[in-house]
Amino acid sequence: MTQNEMTSDDSTDPAAVGTTATPDPSGEPLVDQSIEVDGTDSSAQAGREQVIEARDLNVFYGDVQALQDITMSIPENQVTAMIGPSGCGKSTFLRSINRMNDLIDTARVDGELYFEGKNIYDDDVDPVALRRRIGMVFQHPNPFPKSIYDNVAYGLRIQDETENLDQKVETALKRAALWDEVEDQLDKSALDLSGGQQQRLCIARAIAVDPDVILMDEPASALDPIATSKIEDLIEELAEEFTVVIVTHNMQQAARISDKTAVFLTGGELVEFGDTQSIFENPEHQRVEDYITGKFG
Amino acid sequence: MATTEPDADWHGDDSSISQLRGRAFEATCLAATAFGLVSVLLLLLFVANDAFRPLSADSGWLLTYAVTVVVPLAALAVYYYRLDEPAGEVAYVTSGLPVVGVLLTGGFAVMFIELLSILEWFALVTSLVAAGGLIVAHGRLRPNAALERLVVLFGAPIVTVLGTPPAQFNWLVTDLAAALGVDFGLYHRVISLREVLLRLPYVPTNWLLLLGTLVAPLAVAGGVFVARRCDSRRAGFAVVGATLVGALVGLVTGPALGIGYGGWMLLVAFVALPVGVYVEGVVRRREGVRGLAFPVTAVLGVAVGSVVVDAAGLAGPDSWIDWGFLTSATSRTAADAGIYPAMVGSIMMIIVIVLATFPVGVGAAIYLEEYAPSEGPMGKFVTLVEINIGNLAGVPSVVYGLLGLALFIRIVQWPQGSIVVAGLAVGLLILPIVIISAQEAIRSVPDSFRQASYGMGATRWQTIRQVVLPEALPGILTGTILALGRAIGETAPLLMIGAAASVRLAPNGFFDVAGMMPRQIYSWSSELEPAFRHGVLAAGVITLLAVLLVMNATAIVIRNRYQRE
Amino acid sequence: MSTETPEPDITSRPRGRAARERMYQYLLLLCAALSILVTISIVALLARDAITFFTLVNPLDFFGGTEFLLSRDVYGLLPLLSGTLLVTVIAALIALPTGVAAAVYLSEYASDRMRSVLKPGLEVLAGIPTVVYGIFALVYVTPFLRTIGLPVNTFNILSPSIMVGIMIVPMVSSLSEDAMSAVPDSLRRAGYGMGATKFEVTTGVVLPAAASGIFSSFILALSRAIGETMIVVVAAGSQPRMLNLAEPLQNLWQGFQPMTAAMVQINSADSVSQLGFSSMFAIGLTLFAITFLLNLVSNRIAARYREEYE
Repeated sequence: MTQNEMTSDDSTDPAAVGTTATPDPSGEPLVDQSIEVDGTDSSAQAGREQVIEARDLNVFYGDVQALQDITMSIPENQVTAMIGPSGCGKSTFLRSINRMNDLIDTARVDGELYFEGKNIYDDDVDPVALRRRIGMVFQHPNPFPKSIYDNVAYGLRIQDETENLDQKVETALKRAALWDEVEDQLDKSALDLSGGQQQRLCIARAIAVDPDVILMDEPASALDPIATSKIEDLIEELAEEFTVVIVTHNMQQAARISDKTAVFLTGGELVEFGDTQSIFENPEHQRVEDYITGKFG
Repeated sequence: MATTEPDADWHGDDSSISQLRGRAFEATCLAATAFGLVSVLLLLLFVANDAFRPLSADSGWLLTYAVTVVVPLAALAVYYYRLDEPAGEVAYVTSGLPVVGVLLTGGFAVMFIELLSILEWFALVTSLVAAGGLIVAHGRLRPNAALERLVVLFGAPIVTVLGTPPAQFNWLVTDLAAALGVDFGLYHRVISLREVLLRLPYVPTNWLLLLGTLVAPLAVAGGVFVARRCDSRRAGFAVVGATLVGALVGLVTGPALGIGYGGWMLLVAFVALPVGVYVEGVVRRREGVRGLAFPVTAVLGVAVGSVVVDAAGLAGPDSWIDWGFLTSATSRTAADAGIYPAMVGSIMMIIVIVLATFPVGVGAAIYLEEYAPSEGPMGKFVTLVEINIGNLAGVPSVVYGLLGLALFIRIVQWPQGSIVVAGLAVGLLILPIVIISAQEAIRSVPDSFRQASYGMGATRWQTIRQVVLPEALPGILTGTILALGRAIGETAPLLMIGAAASVRLAPNGFFDVAGMMPRQIYSWSSELEPAFRHGVLAAGVITLLAVLLVMNATAIVIRNRYQRE
Repeated sequence: MSTETPEPDITSRPRGRAARERMYQYLLLLCAALSILVTISIVALLARDAITFFTLVNPLDFFGGTEFLLSRDVYGLLPLLSGTLLVTVIAALIALPTGVAAAVYLSEYASDRMRSVLKPGLEVLAGIPTVVYGIFALVYVTPFLRTIGLPVNTFNILSPSIMVGIMIVPMVSSLSEDAMSAVPDSLRRAGYGMGATKFEVTTGVVLPAAASGIFSSFILALSRAIGETMIVVVAAGSQPRMLNLAEPLQNLWQGFQPMTAAMVQINSADSVSQLGFSSMFAIGLTLFAITFLLNLVSNRIAARYREEYE
């Protein structure tokens, strides 16, 4: 349903280039027929619509450069993982997709980042409206100290979408695979849930408002292995309906759940981006191979 | 311990000396810490002795109460402290809640006696609710009409509570009309909903009004709280029902006990309801149930003690603090002197202070914590504001008095020594304290909540309203109560704005000249008669300190609850 | 995904919502800016009458005058300043060592249980209304000083100063303790590593490292003592007099009138000339300037030490 909007946009739309191929139901592109957008490292253009596209994106915190000339595009309804050592800028990149960096006084963004063909750093873009379409799940489960119900309803209420609230809350909890566990305790405080449940509640809260993209910042790093595997299953299911961008420090996790992988290395540069399988089995860059095999990072 | 047992051979002879020096140093430091505490404690004991004069009682009287009240309570306290800390907390709260409740009851009783009739209270509450309803309804219906909202925000209270300005402000309208070249003709004042209610030809009886506007809302609040906690609507309804029935019983029993149905209803709403709700929670959680023994022992002990004392005909102490002291005005003869009008003055001043400082102080804190940029010209301005607030907190109180005198009395021309002037002068004094403590409370809200909210596409204001403020509220309340404690004892500003040295009649309005508790105490301190110096004065000091103690204890309870979560 | 509802446009910025956000922001900014307004009005309103005063009285006569007599319209600040100075010095002699020692105990020696009793206890000291301290001084301390053989008058400067000292102890101790807790543990460990005892580490390492924080607490406490009003109003009498430098001890037994007390007295005097009334503002402005300056200095120093250990 985003296609019709795409075409109506202005002609400078870079994401529209080479994205007319029909999506592959299998989820894996049969042929790599991408057109190189920037000529550098977008070898991984798939036969899918590109929802997010960064072009020469630089982010600075004060005088420190956190991201260097990032150019990449993220396909729709797939899981894109970003891996790399800590401090490599992967979280910064994630946060620049829904302009959460705006909240940091010293952050400065250069370059372009397109969401459905619109540069979100244009002056006329409203970050609040943007974040309503690009949801976010954080590293540590951070439910509000309210009831489970109120947590999920929060986004709907602030957007004044209070019709059928009960129904929408139930749907969101079901999609987040939490409904069965909390069905009869919706009035209980969200803080009484276990860590894994809290994180799924945060996912339910994010998808309740029906965003297009869900950004996840190491969503399972604070959880035990069982809760982690539940979250991973959930992410794969979610990818059927949403575009998921996930930052993780766990390479096995990236290999398990993602379709695409971007490898960031120190200094905030994107070293390699492509299909997960090829990145892990046959990386182009020696540095990436070193990182993946644990020689560095 | 950093200094492990030194090896004498290796260390040589001076090891013992260096240890001795360290010990002496530690003991000196401890003594210094205790110095202020002990000396003030001693002074307080002297004052309390002067105020209560326990030695004027028969020794049998003292012995009786020592056996029935003091010894059992002390034993319980030791037990809680040593063995059962949760029960200690329960004991603390169950004994404290009734005290706070009785104080609130007293405050409301004073308000109904001195300030407004029950009908006026009804009209005020109804119109305030109407104003709130108007604002909320407008927000719902037209969420995005900002200018309109501003108009509604300030207009609603005018329509419902204030009405258009009274005739004294006629010049405002006529001048405005003249400036605009319009002739309105005669200025007709539009009355507010509140005044309409006051003029209704038929109004329900007082007890029904009191039940509806004070007891019922509190009962419903308690009911909702219990229903949430027990997950049972029936429990909630039971609370509401019990409270209302309990209040209605007062129509018969109140007059029989000599406190009137009004006093009974207030006691039910402010004492019985909260105590009941708290005790129910304790029993349900089965945590620290033994703490309930403390208030029970206290009540039983007093009951048994009074029976024994009556039977044996033992005389109690001739205390300066008694019912007469709390309910009568000051007098030239020490035995008749009381603190009542000053207490009313203090209560009314506190109302002014809360209304004036709470919204502004919290608003400023929100701005500084949530909006203020750290860079650019605005950032510089904000830094200036922060430094300025820190400095204002250190400006001597007498200077605030001078400010109140110059601003409110000489420029605005409000009556000298009136309650508004006192409240605003002291309010300005505690404003920086309110701001700083509210800032701390807001800062302590985890950033992850804000991130989550912004990540959902909430605007800044939505995040503040729905996430930050509810979380910060207990902390803000604690800080505000502590600041009010400071305000209630401030004397120097009251002297500067000319608060009355001694008032025989309690004030009836906010523009009345009044004295406040500390001002009254200061007047007594210049009486030379020993009966004043060691009697009335001590009683006044103890009354003031008791009020402060209750306020601080309340603040500490709120803070402890809040920190645990 | 719900295909029936149109996707919201990310560039659509509902005008009403933006305006509402801005409205709240400006309302809140107004609240914050009010504090600046308070400062400005203090300065402006005090200055207004102070200027009237200084057009009639030569500032040199005011700041250098050795006599203060309302009834004869003689306004010399020095007697008042003498009182303020005495109170500040005596209070400082009590509060500074006591406060620092208390801070050392709380930060270096006290067990958690001791701390949980002592710290709130000290806070209570700061929370007692000053008029109550004044009454302590007048009704209990002065007679006590007499019984131990000191030749104090009914109104004397010694007992209120002692009370001021006790009152400001918590201010010194809590701020100094903050400064000592800010000293990184690595410094302490370095001291212990060289075989120093706890006493040596405390006096040789912690105290010097926290010196600037302690110093800033001193200044703040002094500013509190200078501005303290009710204690001296109640117990120090209403007799402005110059310091007796020939016999310094004599000063302690006599009543003085510090600046704050003089202001209260002028304001409550039955008949006071227009000039006398405006002299109150001149004294007030002087007092405000002194305390504001001290606070500013103290905050500066405190800010610097906080930076050091961050």
